Amino acid sequence: MKLFSETFTTLENSLNYATAKNRAISNNIANVDTPGYKAKDVVFKDVLNGELSGFETKRTNPRHIPFSDNTTMPFKTITKQGTTYNHNGNNVDIDKEMNQLAKNQIQYQALVDRIGGKFRSLESVIKGGR
Amino acid sequence: MSIFHGMNTSASALTAQRLRMDIASSNIANANTTRATVNENGQWEPYRRKMVVFEPQEKSFQSFLQSAANRSSTPGQGVEVSAIVEDEEPFKQMYNPSHPDANEAGYVQLPNVDPLQEMVDIMSATRSYEANVTSINATKGMLMKALEIGK
Repeated sequence: MKLFSETFTTLENSLNYATAKNRAISNNIANVDTPGYKAKDVVFKDVLNGELSGFETKRTNPRHIPFSDNTTMPFKTITKQGTTYNHNGNNVDIDKEMNQLAKNQIQYQALVDRIGGKFRSLESVIKGGR
Repeated sequence: MSIFHGMNTSASALTAQRLRMDIASSNIANANTTRATVNENGQWEPYRRKMVVFEPQEKSFQSFLQSAANRSSTPGQGVEVSAIVEDEEPFKQMYNPSHPDANEAGYVQLPNVDPLQEMVDIMSATRSYEANVTSINATKGMLMKALEIGK
């Protein structure tokens, strides 16, 4: 039995995801008037399994840079190609981005709340309920 | 990747939108300026309307390497103004023989500034600025909340 249960890891991963998402959204809003800019999004890798498991090159040295994404993060940033909302090739939907920004903020606060709750119950156990 | 990455991104957009606002203000202020530059013949030329060119800021080596190796892109580092270009549209002609800059036919060349266009640009810049301020506040809220972990 570990002191820090799986829940901590899960919450930590979710916090990392929310942080990455916030970065992508901030960048999209910053580039709302940039011609030719394509919006970025953070998605979980499960969604992209087909794309990710496609290629793996043979590496003769472990220090070689692999082609596939072997980071431990369960999410990755993608660029939304192929659509155009504005006449200048830009595809940032500002309403959608602002909505996602608000949503992401609430999600982050909820996660922080939960992780805090976990720490408090752990503290209570350590103190023997006193 | 620092913790203030999101804030820096939004801040770069604030700077860019403010510059866009400055340029639009300059265009409106000079809507009637007939003596802005001297051309190669030594004659005065009216003011030319200026525009900003935005470009995403993602020039780090790391971002290029990652996009080449993983086909995944990093969220960029915001926006930057790559250039301020002049509008090449012809100048407006107005018949006013008493004007000191009128030519032999009595026509004065006026700047190619359209106040309507500038006002639309100003409003667009204001809204984008506000959106980025909201984004900064959201990032700030998240960072402040993160400080509460373990309290």
